[in-house]
Amino acid sequence: MMAQFFGIGWQNVLDIALNTYILFRLYVLFRGTNVLRVLLAMGALLVFRQVAFAMGLIITSWVMQGVIAVAALVIIVVFRNEISSVLKTRDLKSFFWGIPRQQLKTPVGIIVESVYELARKKIGALIVLPLSKGMESVVQEGIPWQGKLSKEMLISIFWPDNPVHDGAVVIQGNRVTDVGVILPLSKRTDLPSRFGTRHRAAVGLAEQTDALIIVVSEERGTITLFRNRQIYDINDSRVLEKLLIQHAGGDTSTGDIKKWTRDLAIAATVCLVCVTGLWISFSRGVETLATHDVPIEFVKSDQNMEVFSSSASSVRLLVSGSRPLIRALGPDRINVKLNLANTTAGETSLSVGRNAVSLPPGISVKSIEPSMIDVFLGVPLKKEIPVQAFWVGRLSPDLIMTQVAITPKRIIVVGPSQVLEDMNTLFTEPISLDGIAESGKITAGIAFAPSTIRPEDQKKSEVQLEYTVRKRDKTGS
Amino acid sequence: MDKILKMKISNGICGVFLVCLVVAAACVLPGWAQDTAVEIESVSKPPVLVQAEMCESIEQFKPVNPAVVFSISLERVYCFTSFDPVFEETVIFHRWFRKDRLISNGRLVLNPPKWASFSSMQLRPADKGPWRVEIVDSRDNLIKTLRFSISD
Repeated sequence: MMAQFFGIGWQNVLDIALNTYILFRLYVLFRGTNVLRVLLAMGALLVFRQVAFAMGLIITSWVMQGVIAVAALVIIVVFRNEISSVLKTRDLKSFFWGIPRQQLKTPVGIIVESVYELARKKIGALIVLPLSKGMESVVQEGIPWQGKLSKEMLISIFWPDNPVHDGAVVIQGNRVTDVGVILPLSKRTDLPSRFGTRHRAAVGLAEQTDALIIVVSEERGTITLFRNRQIYDINDSRVLEKLLIQHAGGDTSTGDIKKWTRDLAIAATVCLVCVTGLWISFSRGVETLATHDVPIEFVKSDQNMEVFSSSASSVRLLVSGSRPLIRALGPDRINVKLNLANTTAGETSLSVGRNAVSLPPGISVKSIEPSMIDVFLGVPLKKEIPVQAFWVGRLSPDLIMTQVAITPKRIIVVGPSQVLEDMNTLFTEPISLDGIAESGKITAGIAFAPSTIRPEDQKKSEVQLEYTVRKRDKTGS
Repeated sequence: MDKILKMKISNGICGVFLVCLVVAAACVLPGWAQDTAVEIESVSKPPVLVQAEMCESIEQFKPVNPAVVFSISLERVYCFTSFDPVFEETVIFHRWFRKDRLISNGRLVLNPPKWASFSSMQLRPADKGPWRVEIVDSRDNLIKTLRFSISD
């Protein structure tokens, strides 16, 4: 109702809603990654291209179009890891509906206890908790583990005699997914001298991803946490726990929930505004003309009346609107209805006005061809009418056609009373006499003229003719 | 007295004469009425059509080459009808239609006891197509329809 009130069809509302949701989901799934920034840049390019096109900057618009096309390919190649991590690590429900909090199910307590145990025993450890960015292109693949996380397992992995104790452990959810993973080393020169190779590797990964990395120093037994460009020296298990919970998205303090909800609401609103703007730019954009042949629908008020003929069965509409709307304009969305309420039986001329044309919002009628339609209205009547053969051509001069028997002899036709009252014969389609040399049979169609009449039984539109010919007497009699 | 007697006698003769006249009328009138009824019955009986044909010509009061298709080159086509019996002098009509359009309405007189009559149509190049002739009696009753075509 509201949509109709504002002149927007339900299809447009659905269109806007669907695309808003798709945009919002893209934001949610790629939030915090560079993909989103690049997508925003592409959106800006798209807008720029539209503006350039509207201003008539043909080359600029053309170049922008090329850049956007190339950028789309580049995004897929460059951000393949992020895209694959989005597609792989989530089920359908979380993909289409859920808000990703990747490490929510991570047993933080086990990690904290394990880390402190490792620190106490001065066992070096490197633990990675990825978030949304893929790491496949950054790290050297380790050994798949897929073990359920436990304190004992974590300690045993980093136990000095373990072959994989030198690499990093990757924890996703409540599982240790990989062990012995080699991380990229940072090239920063401003790192404290106490940082060893493990710390440098943690910094290197934190620089390139949004993962959280915990390092336990083998020499001093200290715990250091790396996230983005921040380094936390952990002296209190509660601080470590809080940071882990934050990273896991499980910090459920009221303030954070409100902020989280507000961020999502703002994002959803921005998506809605963007898509609506895009729709408006499409629907109110550069005018495009198109012609459509639309069949005419006659709306009767008197059900006994029937339209027996009309001078045209369709009209040609010249419509205008923005190119996307014109392209989306299918035959099922255009109607031409002529009201027969004030007409009487007989031949009537009707004007095909713009009010007779029904079009989706945003599209207008420029011209209607023809603008006048002659219709023949009447009360249908049935009449049984004899059929007569309509011979054409030339019968051989030495032959005489003496008899023609037509089957059926009579046909019941339906038509307006005005026409049928004066109609006494139905004629066949022209039948050629050329080539007739002897008696025979032939099937011929019936010419139902004028077009306002039709056979009651549509199957009975043909007759069979049995004709008899004889040789002409030479005497002439 | 004589005068009075003569008047009485003449009155008596007139009375007798009147009575005789009434009796005679009563005897004669039923017969007359019967004859009139027979005559009306014979007038209402239409002539009986025994032959109706489209033909190329008429020779010796007979149709020549009856047919249903005629070449325009014949230039004329005939409708022959024969009635037997014809109870009294009456008229019939030969109505010529090209397609469904009346072209000619020929009035023909029939005489008892039997009669043959015909009408004809001069053909022009524009007359090619389907034709029919309706044979109609004086009371506009359709007796028969003859259908034919004029071809090249």
